[in-house]
Amino acid sequence: MHIPDGLIINNPAVAAVMWTVSIAFLVWSWRKAKAAYSRSITALLAISSAFVFVAQMINFPIAFGTSGHLVGGTFLAVLLGPYATMLSMTIVLLMQALFFGDGGILAFGANVFNMAVMGGLSFFLIRLLNRNSHSNGRFVSSVFVASWVSVVLGALVCALEISPAFAGGVLVTVPSMLLFHAVIGLGEGAITTVLVSSLQRLQPSVVGGLALLRERKVL
Amino acid sequence: MRKYFGIVALIVVFLAVFVPFASSNPDGLEKVASTFGAEEHQPFWSGLMADYSIGAVGSSYVSTVLAGVFGAFMVLLVALLLGKAIAPKSHG
Repeated sequence: MHIPDGLIINNPAVAAVMWTVSIAFLVWSWRKAKAAYSRSITALLAISSAFVFVAQMINFPIAFGTSGHLVGGTFLAVLLGPYATMLSMTIVLLMQALFFGDGGILAFGANVFNMAVMGGLSFFLIRLLNRNSHSNGRFVSSVFVASWVSVVLGALVCALEISPAFAGGVLVTVPSMLLFHAVIGLGEGAITTVLVSSLQRLQPSVVGGLALLRERKVL
Repeated sequence: MRKYFGIVALIVVFLAVFVPFASSNPDGLEKVASTFGAEEHQPFWSGLMADYSIGAVGSSYVSTVLAGVFGAFMVLLVALLLGKAIAPKSHG
């Protein structure tokens, strides 16, 4: 879902709007994170960001000769909460754009919104779906749904952002992006729930977001 | 610091195991762009290691794994700095 500059270079207005929106979200999450997190988050932040970077390199095949890969936004949201997730994913996207040409520089604002902001916000969807339930099954299904929604919503916004580059505009980009990412989102949900349930079993203390959900504490 | 050496080792193992299985099919966005003939321009910046490969390394497997290790290390480093910037005092 990483938009290359080639698809957005003719529409600097779209790129500028998305840069502005994303910077606003990053300033917000920076302030919230600074107020809420203690030093103890540092190791988890670094390790989970590095994991998401390598996981994004492994594309899995879906139908139609197409592939997808884990975005990892909801996974980070469970571990780190919403605000550190946006910052963490932004670092991943920045390194991808600078070193590997994966996602553009002009398109960086759009990519941050579609993946980092959507990933962070999916925390609130997990909380909404989970309510005050203490059932683990409900928690895991909330994580699955939130993962799927974060990818599909990101793809929807992405389809709008890239639509000026297509002769058919949104009529072409929205249905096709939604179709592919509805399938890719199932992979995202499956991988995220497996990762979260394994961590719950192996390292319960690491699942910080889970603790936050249980305590109903808003960061 | 020891734990970070462990993490880097785990990252190398993860990439070494999974890179051969990674699909080389276009991703959802690339497929949409090629299927519907998007008006796509040459990027002005394609990165130091475009497409996760290091030109000087012959084997594409080794090249991708090395690029991945480098990228993961950079992410780890910048995220550590971010963590220290978020919580400068050790009150945690």
